[in-house]
Amino acid sequence: MLTNLIFIILFMLGFYALIMKTNLIKNVIGLNLMEAAIFFWVISFSDIGGEVSIHKFGETMGKFNDPVPQALTLTGIVIGASTAALLLTLIIELNKFSGTIDRDQIEELND
Amino acid sequence: MDIKILFLILVPLGTAFLIPLIDLINAKLRRFFVLLGVLLESYLIITIITGNLDNFRNGDFFLQYFLGGWRPPLGITLAMDGLSLLFVVITAVSLFLVVIYSIGYIGHHEGKYYVLYFLIAAASMGALLTADLFNIYVFIEMLTITSGALIGFKRSEEASAAAIKYLIYNVLAGLLFFLGVLVVYFNLGTLNMAAVAQNFADLESGIQLFISAIFLTSILIKMGIFPFLFWLPKSYDTAPSPVTAVLSGILSKVYLYIFIRIFWTVIGFEVITSLNLNIFLIDLALFSSFLGHVFALQSNNIKRLLGYSSIGHIGMITAVILLNTEAGFYGGILHIISHMFMKAGLFVACGYLLQYTRSHAYGDFKGVGLRNKSVFIAFIALLLSMIGMPPLLGFASKWYVLMAFLEARSYFGAFIVIFGSLTAVIYYLRYIAKGFEEVKLTEDDLKEEVFSRPLLSVLYREKIVSFITYTYAAIIIGFGVGFRFFDLPLKMSINSIMNVERYIELVLGG
Repeated sequence: MLTNLIFIILFMLGFYALIMKTNLIKNVIGLNLMEAAIFFWVISFSDIGGEVSIHKFGETMGKFNDPVPQALTLTGIVIGASTAALLLTLIIELNKFSGTIDRDQIEELND
Repeated sequence: MDIKILFLILVPLGTAFLIPLIDLINAKLRRFFVLLGVLLESYLIITIITGNLDNFRNGDFFLQYFLGGWRPPLGITLAMDGLSLLFVVITAVSLFLVVIYSIGYIGHHEGKYYVLYFLIAAASMGALLTADLFNIYVFIEMLTITSGALIGFKRSEEASAAAIKYLIYNVLAGLLFFLGVLVVYFNLGTLNMAAVAQNFADLESGIQLFISAIFLTSILIKMGIFPFLFWLPKSYDTAPSPVTAVLSGILSKVYLYIFIRIFWTVIGFEVITSLNLNIFLIDLALFSSFLGHVFALQSNNIKRLLGYSSIGHIGMITAVILLNTEAGFYGGILHIISHMFMKAGLFVACGYLLQYTRSHAYGDFKGVGLRNKSVFIAFIALLLSMIGMPPLLGFASKWYVLMAFLEARSYFGAFIVIFGSLTAVIYYLRYIAKGFEEVKLTEDDLKEEVFSRPLLSVLYREKIVSFITYTYAAIIIGFGVGFRFFDLPLKMSINSIMNVERYIELVLGG
């Protein structure tokens, strides 16, 4: 229950930063926060209090955590990092031309 | 087990990663290498088609490949049925034409351009072929990142701004898709599309609604349907012309394929009907189509106008497919094919016609038709096809869409089809008239026009560029007369949409 609550708070915080803040970098942080919330939720869901599954594979098979969500999260982290990198690059590029990163002051973003 | 469909993804991926290496050896080899990549891809598709001609006629065409030899539901499966075959073929044709166009069009940073281009090719092939939900997510994100980088390719202020806008919308859509995939995994314990499809109807209706709504929001953002359409026109406007042709010709069609795949195969249309989503969706898509045409009327920029008209057409296609009748699928998929060629052809022609102007504004069209007569005639043919003039492909597809709406007694839909054609007449004829307006240019003016403005691109191979435009016009005219050619592939794809049990059985049975 607590993890669900933390997930919702983090996700909404990210969404707030994405929608309400006008600073483009804060928007990217908001996107990443939403991603982080989802990853956190996935990992907490897959943790059923067992061993790390790969560690004891082949020996006595006790209770082990589901490895698939962890693999999915790893892929998700890589994708999130690359989108954030691309977005930040473009923001730097935009800052060179317009001299600001406030999205309300950049006319090109508002039409 | 057919390894050819794995190579459909690997060939463009390999080409993308080898291009920087080729650049190190000799930059002039690059173009031949690029051509080699697309030719190899076409060869693979041709062998798949010629090797399975009998299966097409019997209606039991199905290919699949298990990655690493792991059988479903454990491993990742690549599967190709009639629907994905049709989309793979038309995507490959578009990719082939646009890459040749790019050889003529892209003047600088060619190396980077082709890397991104082939990554788009690999990702769209992957999204069309995979039978694994998480794989679809990975390929969608790959499409988003590479196309975002290509939209910002010109490195001007407006290009960067458009790319940021595009990326923020689409990354958000990707995140929602990821959340949907995870909810599916936690409820059903599998990511294989066939295994999910088998068990989806047993879930509680609350969870069904949640999953459908998340996937729906994500795909609606990607396709540019009404509440989320505002990223689209700007990014179509600022991207280089071949990239816009890819965005509207390939990406939106790949997202339409994913839409069909998820809502008919994975979730199942009965579930959508029982949740009462379909009526709401048809009206939303038609309203989006209406808005697209209205925005197009007041737009003063040809590429932005074409973007708005894309919104109109995609909305119409989504609505007609959602009717879930055989006629609806026939009209919808035929219109997907025709819209793919018409829009890509129009953007390609715009890239040629407006090569010397800084913007794509209405005023820049003055006298364009007189300077490049033959390309402008091809451009007019494509515009007439968009409007829906009889001998062209656009007429045939719009006719079937209209018939499907009338058959389902959806008069709002029929009204939107006709409204779209009528407004299209108004907003396209304006540009044709402007193109034939005579401008008296003295020699000095001409020099000023060419040299004082920083060029959007340097066409050093005008002949290739104009040739591709003629090819698109020829496709539209040729298939407009012989659109019956698409009968067999359309029947196959309608079969594979309607017959979900067969897909499940074949994927899970190996």
